[in-house]
Amino acid sequence: MSKRKVRSETLYFALRNNKLRVGLSVILFFLVLTFVGPLLTHYAPYDYVNPLGAQPPSAKYWFGTTMFGQDVFTQFVHGLKATFLVGVVGGGLGTLIGILIGFTAGYRGGVVDEVLNMITNIVLVIPTLAILLIIAAYLKVRGILTESIFIGCTAWPWAARAIRAQTFSLRSREFVDLARLSGMSPWRIIFTEIAPNMMSYLLLVFILQFGGAILNAATLDFIGLGPTNAVSLGLMMNNAVLWGALLLGIWWWFVPPGLAIMAIVGALYVTNVGLDEVFNPKLREM
Amino acid sequence: MKRVLSTLLVLVVILSMLAACGPTPTPEKVIVTVPVLQTVTVKETVPVVVTAVPEKPTEVTYPRNETLYVSGAAWGPPSDWNPFITWSKANTTGTIGLVYETLFLYDPLSDKMIPWLAESGKWVDADTYELKLRKGITWSDGQPMTAADVVFTYELGKKYAAIWFSPMWNYLKSATATSDYDITFEFTNPLYQEWDNNLYNIAIVPKHLWESRTEEQITAGANEKPVGSGAYLYETHSEDRNVWVRNENWWATKLLGMKPAPKRIVDMRFSSNNVALGAVVKGEVDLSNNFLPGIATLSEKGYVKTYFAGPPYMLSANTAVLFLNTTKKPMDDPAFRKALAFSINTGDIVNVAYAGLVKAANPTGLLPSLEKYVDKDVVAKLGFTFDTAKAKQILASAGYKDVNGDGFVEAPDGSKIELEVTCPFGWTDWMEAIKIIAKSAQAAGINLKDATPDYGAWNTALTTGTFDMTLNNWAGMSNTPWTLYNLLFRHPIQDIMGSGNFGRWNNQKMFDLVDKLAATPSSDEAGMKAVCSQIQELMLTEMPVIPLWYNGLWAQYSDAVWTNWPTESSNTPSRLPCTWSGYWQMGGLIMLTELKPAQ
Amino acid sequence: MRRYLGRKLLIYVLTFFLAVTIDWLIPRFMPGDPVQTMLSRASLHAEAVEVMHGYYTRAFGLDVPVWRQYLNFWVAIFHGDLGTSVYLFPQPVIKIIMRAVPYDVFLLLPAILLSWFAGNWFGAFAARNKWLDNTLLPLGYILTATPYMWLGILLAWLFGVVLGIFPIAGAYSFSMRPHLSWAFIGSVVKHWFLPFASIFLVKFGGWAIGMRNMIIYELEADYSHYLEALGAPRGLIRKYAFRNAILPQITGLSLDLGVIVAGALVTEVVFSYPGIGYLILQAIQNQDYFLIQGCFLFIIIGVLLANFAIDIAYVIVDPRTRLGMVGESA
Repeated sequence: MSKRKVRSETLYFALRNNKLRVGLSVILFFLVLTFVGPLLTHYAPYDYVNPLGAQPPSAKYWFGTTMFGQDVFTQFVHGLKATFLVGVVGGGLGTLIGILIGFTAGYRGGVVDEVLNMITNIVLVIPTLAILLIIAAYLKVRGILTESIFIGCTAWPWAARAIRAQTFSLRSREFVDLARLSGMSPWRIIFTEIAPNMMSYLLLVFILQFGGAILNAATLDFIGLGPTNAVSLGLMMNNAVLWGALLLGIWWWFVPPGLAIMAIVGALYVTNVGLDEVFNPKLREM
Repeated sequence: MKRVLSTLLVLVVILSMLAACGPTPTPEKVIVTVPVLQTVTVKETVPVVVTAVPEKPTEVTYPRNETLYVSGAAWGPPSDWNPFITWSKANTTGTIGLVYETLFLYDPLSDKMIPWLAESGKWVDADTYELKLRKGITWSDGQPMTAADVVFTYELGKKYAAIWFSPMWNYLKSATATSDYDITFEFTNPLYQEWDNNLYNIAIVPKHLWESRTEEQITAGANEKPVGSGAYLYETHSEDRNVWVRNENWWATKLLGMKPAPKRIVDMRFSSNNVALGAVVKGEVDLSNNFLPGIATLSEKGYVKTYFAGPPYMLSANTAVLFLNTTKKPMDDPAFRKALAFSINTGDIVNVAYAGLVKAANPTGLLPSLEKYVDKDVVAKLGFTFDTAKAKQILASAGYKDVNGDGFVEAPDGSKIELEVTCPFGWTDWMEAIKIIAKSAQAAGINLKDATPDYGAWNTALTTGTFDMTLNNWAGMSNTPWTLYNLLFRHPIQDIMGSGNFGRWNNQKMFDLVDKLAATPSSDEAGMKAVCSQIQELMLTEMPVIPLWYNGLWAQYSDAVWTNWPTESSNTPSRLPCTWSGYWQMGGLIMLTELKPAQ
Repeated sequence: MRRYLGRKLLIYVLTFFLAVTIDWLIPRFMPGDPVQTMLSRASLHAEAVEVMHGYYTRAFGLDVPVWRQYLNFWVAIFHGDLGTSVYLFPQPVIKIIMRAVPYDVFLLLPAILLSWFAGNWFGAFAARNKWLDNTLLPLGYILTATPYMWLGILLAWLFGVVLGIFPIAGAYSFSMRPHLSWAFIGSVVKHWFLPFASIFLVKFGGWAIGMRNMIIYELEADYSHYLEALGAPRGLIRKYAFRNAILPQITGLSLDLGVIVAGALVTEVVFSYPGIGYLILQAIQNQDYFLIQGCFLFIIIGVLLANFAIDIAYVIVDPRTRLGMVGESA
């Protein structure tokens, strides 16, 4: 089979995979909105545009206005940008560190494993919030990028542990033993024998990290440890709740950000399964 | 198997929960502990134990129509019932007021001191104050309250520096009980204003239970099961509540014919205003002193009652003041400070950030309850209003020009101006307010940005003087304008300014005026007014601080179970409807005696 | 086997030592003066602040050299003395935490375990069942993608405000004292249910999807096809697949115990539920060194214990791990 043929076959199945189609269209939709949205509005996220305060969605204010008369749609599209940034930077960083540590620990075993495992354990048990608190206290103004890097640097342990565990059980399988007997170097075994067998798992890890980073950011924002100088979906929810939007019936303030996070993260997960099926012919629906 | 296991787990957890919820005094337990007590403690401590115990078996569920649910005064779990740990007052509101009482009450609405534990008190000469204690007051353990208790309490400040009123002993020479009910205080150069303030803030404790305690127990003990003289007794607490039960033998019922209507007060601690708002809407809270944005809407729809039927709905409780760091450029320039004052759109803060729940402040910063001390001529001559054009004009004539064309002015010496206005993160209303301050200053050409550090960082910047400008409102409702001026112009300037003058404005003339006010007798209203007028003139000329708006005495109540709440209308009581610590003595307690059950 | 667990134990002790050191270090790096913060909350009159500052700095042990503070910290830990809270002065930290711990156990243990069992069962069941896979699994994706607090807010709004079935604050009715009666237990369960449900639902979705993906992965592995070719019954193949697929799920469970603190925190905040999560937030906001340390110490101990327990479970479930650890290195 030529490479070209494999690629077109993959594409063929990708286009026919419903999960992938749904997942990718949702993500694409929000991505487009992220870039086009700011062009559709002439306000800044925190401008007081509506003197009447909280108003339900209308032709003028598509998503309504907050209690102070800020345009929810404007905040929403700016918040989306922050969400994607956190996902890519935080999730990417988390996966990268997780892969490096997980493979090394899982394949090498012994002392290396124990040292890495110890580092993993320590990072795992030190509550993330404590470190953020230090950062928050030192940085007078917290930004989205800082938040993302921070999330990435603290989110890798579970990925490392999961990859380690997988590597571990793959390591004692026959084909790995065979490769070892044939004298392959450890890293070659990892990349030619073990990694391909875990590709969809690694992808799952990245996508979980991507989604996890978004959810983590939302959590931090919600408890008031998020960026102090930006708009984000978590901050919108934080503000909505702080200002009693729930009980005053200002649903248009807190529903869009939560719904968007749910849709994006959910779509990521669905995309992941779809991709898994495309790359791994065995998993395609019969 | 798995199911059985998890069911078992849940059961175990529920049981451990119950065990952890705290022991309920059951008859069995009492029977078991008694012999142990008798065999082990043979000393005279036994009677003390006995007096602390006579708790009747209490109800485990509270009938709704006998219970008053309040919230908003405290946020954390109750941690102590010690009237001398003042900073945790927020955690145990009611310790002073409901359990321990003060010699006087003060009613800010009528500006009157009301004799309470004291029957009367007067200055017999400039350095002598005579106080007559009411006869017939008993502590909740049955012992009578006498002059010795008052002297003991006041002298704690002399003995222990950690007692908050210990500085009073700089001018208080002695406190002597001349009879069981008469006390004479001797002074040198008394600060009359502070003395009056302390009269309704120092809670009297029983000597017979406190004299054997160590310094640590007195200044830092949790004082569980407090014995006081007040209308309520401590009943129980848990992480999110503190429950008070009525003292049926309260002295004021016999002596003054006052009886608080609710048998129990449950003080609920909510983690967020959102939860508090939910409880208010559902009628689970009778009186909420939380800041609840959007209450205007609910009030107009008739869900809740507020003191005023229309804006600003709430009474004013304290002044939000913008402190300018006068040790930094360009805040050291009065012209710049004045321009800034003119640039701020207070109207937007009131109407947008607070949706009409607050009132714009008088330029002097004095609360409406102290309005008589405002010199209207001075305000008319020197006061400021929101006027961007005027702000620009002041800047221009003082030499502030936009040199580099970025839309913001540079200092007269050509240096760039980049400033920050701060408030602690999470103080949502203030966060909106500083956004408006920054925006309106920018419109006048001042490069000002808003920033919200965490409380600790903000506090450090505030007290060590590293901020540019920041909001502060630490002077509450008071009997005297001195309280506000003591915050604004505290002196001397020290490395750490923990309780005022955060901008470190160093002006001896002002300091002398504030000292003069402090030493003016409260009876000398004309003298007080004269000093206040001078203070205001100097303050509005130099503008070292900018008073912006009055934070409200947040209070919303429901008529469902209790009625006759205080409102502006003449056929309801006019009291401060407030359960905040320090406000029980300013009307909250009397309000309780005026409440009526619904129907 | 014993050697393996012994070495693991050593690692955990080492981890504990390092983690506690970092725990001690963290608050001390922070700018700001806790005593000053505490006193400023009082908005005290006058000179009292300066006098009290020195007094409480001594009382809190902040005036001795740093190395002494560190040693004192260790000595105190082994005496069960975690210091006195600044924010909830004068309550001892250990007392505050011990009051909060039962609520967390009560909330988290059932939520985590039940969601794990139910999620795995459901995920394994849904795998390769076309109808379930296509209809109910999207629900799993939606659930696991939902931010905890958003689900909490929606549940609180729907069941608490609109329908009024469940209370939205507290651990039991504000009109009750703890006592043993059905009414009280009912009240406790009622207050517990919504926070439990929001954690359970989100976690359930996550486990179900994880399991479903793992099972499909295993069912398509060579050994499954081999077994199939040998004519093994489908039930047996699924059993093997399940046993293999459960391994990462077990790892995931152990890791989740640490991560879920954040989820529990926001849930506790949304519902005003008085557990450790809520306590941490309060401690952080009030710069309470001792309370922050105490809470973190409890989380560290909890996570380490859970990890160790799960390590043992892992060894029992996957015999290859034993060989991998001991056999190869010899």
